[in-house]
Amino acid sequence: MNPHDLLPVHTGTVIEDDSLTLEQLCNACGVHTDWVISLVEESIIEPQGGEIQVWRFSGGSLVRVRSALRLHRDLGVNLAGIALALDLMEELENLRTQLKIMGRN
Amino acid sequence: MQYKDYYKIMGLSRTATQDEVKRAYRKLARKYHPDVSKEKDAEAKFKELGEAYEVLHDPQKRAAYDKLGSNWKAGEDFRPPPNWDEGFEFKGGFADGGGFSDFFEQLFGRTGFHPSGQEQHGFHVRGQDSHAKIYIDLEDSIHGATRSISLSSPQMDAQGYMQVKHRSLSIKIPKGIKPGQHIRLAGQGDPGSGGGKAGDLLLEIAFNSHPLYRFSDTDIYLDLPVTPWEAALGAKIKVPTPEGSVDLKIPPNSRQGTKLRLKGRGLPAKTPGDFFVVLQIALPPADTERAKAVYQKMQQELDFNPRLSLGVKQR
Repeated sequence: MNPHDLLPVHTGTVIEDDSLTLEQLCNACGVHTDWVISLVEESIIEPQGGEIQVWRFSGGSLVRVRSALRLHRDLGVNLAGIALALDLMEELENLRTQLKIMGRN
Repeated sequence: MQYKDYYKIMGLSRTATQDEVKRAYRKLARKYHPDVSKEKDAEAKFKELGEAYEVLHDPQKRAAYDKLGSNWKAGEDFRPPPNWDEGFEFKGGFADGGGFSDFFEQLFGRTGFHPSGQEQHGFHVRGQDSHAKIYIDLEDSIHGATRSISLSSPQMDAQGYMQVKHRSLSIKIPKGIKPGQHIRLAGQGDPGSGGGKAGDLLLEIAFNSHPLYRFSDTDIYLDLPVTPWEAALGAKIKVPTPEGSVDLKIPPNSRQGTKLRLKGRGLPAKTPGDFFVVLQIALPPADTERAKAVYQKMQQELDFNPRLSLGVKQR
């Protein structure tokens, strides 16, 4: 018998696209709502829904908010710089994926 | 306990000015920041750098550290001399808590660590959500699976010290999950304080690289080697897909790099991805007389110049 069989198996829920509320996102990243709102104003993350009460964020926002926080805290990058850095990093990531698909890594 | 040479870590001389310390930190932080860097060990180096900066940018800590003298070598076994820190007062407020070296803690203590934000306010506070990235195989997503993951996280013990806790969790990988998606495990994050609920554990999904397939979002790519005659004349070929092999029709006059799409045979997400076959034409080696003869025949029979567009006259 495999030792793993003895552990209880946890079943989580998949965070579907555009399902996180502002509160959930802030809780998940340990940040204040003001910080997230300023990220939205800089269009670093883009929620669905017009009014702040009905904002819904994607799972990908979790990654961007936390990256943004680290860039700000560790490197002292301001919001405009964070926006630029994250966009360039994302483009780099896409290019790397593209390279891999072409089999030239 | 090993001595750490904070000047060496930052590439500075002992006489560096506070401005130089700051500039060196900024430069190295960009180089090793885990979000930006592709360097190996970036995370460990960034941590080490953070610790060095914590000491050297604070005039009091730097003075205390300098007092240890410059005869120590990095890695040398170290005990602080008695009363070395007499007369110094260290302020708290360290960067991120958790993870400075024993050397640092021996010198400056651990009292500076503040639990992140909310917990200080007191009662019935829900624990923080914690995050981890896990790597799964393509097959786990195609069929669904149960995987055991091991996590280590810094946690506060009852005395307020940081301890790195290791634990294993068995989790269900839901069918059709794609890279970049998150799974939320309720109540598996940091424990709450004052009877508050525990936070959640958020797992970001990434795929291990696969011997056959490559991924882009929900699409899967396969390089398919074909013979020149299969590409030229067309053929029916068996190709592997994650859900079993399928018969693929290669249209006549296919070229190197032609992409053939099998709709809906990518990852089984809500909108399933596609499966792309990329043709790679393989040339048979001309290593026998017969093979050479065939190539020579092609040379004589086919009027084929692949370099027409280069505009150079061929003889």
